[in-house]
Amino acid sequence: MQKQCILCGKISRMFRYILKRIFIFIPTLIIITLLGFLISINAPGDPVERMVSSAQSGGEVGTQSVSQMKDKLFWRKKLGLDLPVFYFSVTSYAYPDTLYKIGDKPEREALSRLISNHGNWNAIEQYHNSLIRFCDAQLFFRPDTNQLKGYETNKVIEDLNQIKFEALSLKASYEEVLMQAKIDKIQTILSKYSFLNDSKRLFDQVVSDHQNIKNTESKWKNYIPKIAFYKNNQYHRWLFGDGGEFSKGIIRGDFGTSYVTKQPISEVIYSKIGWSLFFTLLSVILAYFVSIPIGVKAAANRGSRFDKSSSIVLFMLYSMPSFWLATLLLMTFANPDVFHWLPASGVKPATGYPEGAGLFEKIKISFPYIILPAICYTYSSFAFLSRTMRVSMIEIVGQDYIRTAKAKGLPENKVIWKHAFRNSLLPIITVFANIFPAAIGGSVILESIFTIPGMGSEAIFAIQNNNYPMIIAILTITGFLTLVGYLISDILYALVDPRISYK
Amino acid sequence: MEELKKDISIEESKADFSFRKYAWTQFKKNKPAYYSYKVLVFLAIIAIIAPFIATDQPLYCKYKGVNMFPAFSFSNNCEIKDPATGAIENIQYDIADWKHMEAETIIFAPIAYSPNKTDYDNADYVSPGGKQIFITAEGEEMEIPAKFRHWLGTNKAGEDVLSGLINGTRVSLTIGILSMGIASLIGILLGAMAGYFGDKKLQTTRGSFWTFIIGLFFAFYYAFIMRSFELADGFATSSLSILIQLFISIFIFTLISFVFYWLGKLVGKIGFLSHKVFIPVDSIISRAIEILISMPLLILIISVAAIAKEKSIVNIMIIIGLTSWTGIARLTRAEFLRISNLEYIQAAKSMGFKEFRIIFKHALPNALAPALVAIAFGVASAILTESALSFLGVGVPPTTVTWGSLLNAGREQFSAWWLVVFPGLAIFVTVTIYNLLGEGLRDALDPRLKK
Repeated sequence: MQKQCILCGKISRMFRYILKRIFIFIPTLIIITLLGFLISINAPGDPVERMVSSAQSGGEVGTQSVSQMKDKLFWRKKLGLDLPVFYFSVTSYAYPDTLYKIGDKPEREALSRLISNHGNWNAIEQYHNSLIRFCDAQLFFRPDTNQLKGYETNKVIEDLNQIKFEALSLKASYEEVLMQAKIDKIQTILSKYSFLNDSKRLFDQVVSDHQNIKNTESKWKNYIPKIAFYKNNQYHRWLFGDGGEFSKGIIRGDFGTSYVTKQPISEVIYSKIGWSLFFTLLSVILAYFVSIPIGVKAAANRGSRFDKSSSIVLFMLYSMPSFWLATLLLMTFANPDVFHWLPASGVKPATGYPEGAGLFEKIKISFPYIILPAICYTYSSFAFLSRTMRVSMIEIVGQDYIRTAKAKGLPENKVIWKHAFRNSLLPIITVFANIFPAAIGGSVILESIFTIPGMGSEAIFAIQNNNYPMIIAILTITGFLTLVGYLISDILYALVDPRISYK
Repeated sequence: MEELKKDISIEESKADFSFRKYAWTQFKKNKPAYYSYKVLVFLAIIAIIAPFIATDQPLYCKYKGVNMFPAFSFSNNCEIKDPATGAIENIQYDIADWKHMEAETIIFAPIAYSPNKTDYDNADYVSPGGKQIFITAEGEEMEIPAKFRHWLGTNKAGEDVLSGLINGTRVSLTIGILSMGIASLIGILLGAMAGYFGDKKLQTTRGSFWTFIIGLFFAFYYAFIMRSFELADGFATSSLSILIQLFISIFIFTLISFVFYWLGKLVGKIGFLSHKVFIPVDSIISRAIEILISMPLLILIISVAAIAKEKSIVNIMIIIGLTSWTGIARLTRAEFLRISNLEYIQAAKSMGFKEFRIIFKHALPNALAPALVAIAFGVASAILTESALSFLGVGVPPTTVTWGSLLNAGREQFSAWWLVVFPGLAIFVTVTIYNLLGEGLRDALDPRLKK
């Protein structure tokens, strides 16, 4: 009866301990997603621009913009960029709450810089609107043949294009000198042709509005902070989706669309995560299997030749950069000039598995591909584990109860394996928390060396192609896996060590 | 007389028997650690004089009667007037063809190549022991003279590997100093605060606490949000302007925080706001450490490095520094927990010293030892991280030659074993000596571990 109650107490205390770990788990996960999100919105370049321009490129300034407008709107909606960034934003009193509605990234930045320089949103908005009116009018403007009489046609077209170009770039400029230069340029071209009088009137409005910005400056507004709250925002949508229209949110496993292939990212990751997890887990298991006997043997024969030499070798392995060892191994064992024993890249033959191959046959085919990566994945954690095992074993062997067991006349083997070994296992279990994340992180390097189709090589590929949603997805998933590793090691520790107090 | 001297010296050594001296003797007894210390000093010297021992600009050159010291000179060109014709010849140091110059005397650096300069005659993976050629000014092909030999071969473009290795030493050692400098600044400060104050020692009034929190918001607003465009422009221009802009922002931040701190002292005197509260410094900092160590740091560093507009090695160092302070903070915290309960700290408190003074003057010097060990290990892992990044070609500009980027070049051509073996060996040796140093320091500084 009593025993059961102690057990109940222990279980409830342990349960509480695990709950407490989960309490740390959740904010950490939120911070990782926040960091990932922060990185993705600060990424250079405009994703909409990228999606549209990869679909079609070239063409005249005017026609390009018109035909792309719809595409852009669609992608903006699909990528969720028509929403404010976060639940709240800290801006100044001079800023309007709805600046996020301006789609074009450089345009938006130019406007917010204008606000931070001048502080009068009303005047800036007026200027922006009249500039848009001018641009729109100019984009659809086609002079007819009557008007062109007396002018050189090519020259006119060139000048008109020049106006379009300058007007569009005026939208994205904020430095006073540059703006003035562009305005002057447009004005000189406009005054050259009599048929552009309508446009000239529109542009005069722009010029007077621009002047107005400078006249009604109110910089003081920038010194007053303002917090604006948004219920519907990009981060919220990224996490929870928008009700299934375009995105289901990452909590339902939807990481968005790849910029490169336009595939859903979750599909790509789903097809890649298998090999990454396989190598990570294989390495952890192998490392434990190899390191425990070595550590125990070294500690049991402390000061022997085996102890000394294994210490040196393990220390050197521990300091050895994994990418160096990997390259050396490839250079030696997968090099036609030296030993061509093993294949140099991939996890299976380039032609794939033969049709109808069973699991064992697949393993047999993949085995030579796995040997070198497995060595590189394993050795550093193995060195670390053996050293930890040795130290903890030495500590245990020095204790009184071991001496008693020896004095009792128990055989050496029994003392080591039955009495000492069990108790020395504790520290080696806790370092699972160090090994698992290291293996995940290390996969970035090793996968790209051995061209293993996993998340690590996908991460490098994504970085080379500026595929930010993919980078963020991988960051979030590896963060999640790392956290799970910590949680498992915490729970294992709590399960194994009866002395732990769960406080 | 001799014996008397001996006695005195013994007396003296007994008199100033300090922990530092004891630790040094212990450290010296640890042969591997002591030798790694010597190797480290050697590497540091190489790093400092690298631009003078591996450069294609000669140390000294006498040409048409004019003495030049191109490797040492700050200006990049020299105008030479021909006394006979009066024609002016302009020699630009960095692009001049020194090896074919008909100078009266010319003394080359021991390695007569710069890491980035290509030697077209010996391009396409020339091996260290293989045939290397030199084409004279007259166009004759001959066996390379010893002073121009590529001792460790070349890469595909014909860049000298040894020169790259020597100049890469600079990058690696700077990585260690800068990133661990940042990390130890953050780590020691936070660790000391967490360990010294704990959860129950930093007491303040409700009023001043909330005033300070509001102050932090304002400080953050004026220092970073209002200046966000200045900071962004700084990042886009150069590393120096980043540092200047960041410095201004941090200055504003500190200034406003301090104003609100003093304001809070006044507010804390008002009626119900003068209620005492404890600030759980230890809990806050420990949670922050736990969160940071659960992050996949390598992938985080890679992602941050990938979005940086301008690729620069300094960015990488800063990122590594900002993410690797946890180990130092944890050890410093543990040490401060122990020290803050010691009698001499109690004595200092009872004498009415300011807390700031107790932390930095009395407690910190005794708590530095474990942090030092963590720093040594931290340098090793920072060097590994940087070389992994440049091996992958992420975040490091392609013009910067580092050990990692040299090794990366060897991946493309396995027959060029010298591109794999030597840079890898350099990384391995440096990481090993830092690890050995760390172990030696730990043994020397922690007398409890001695058996």
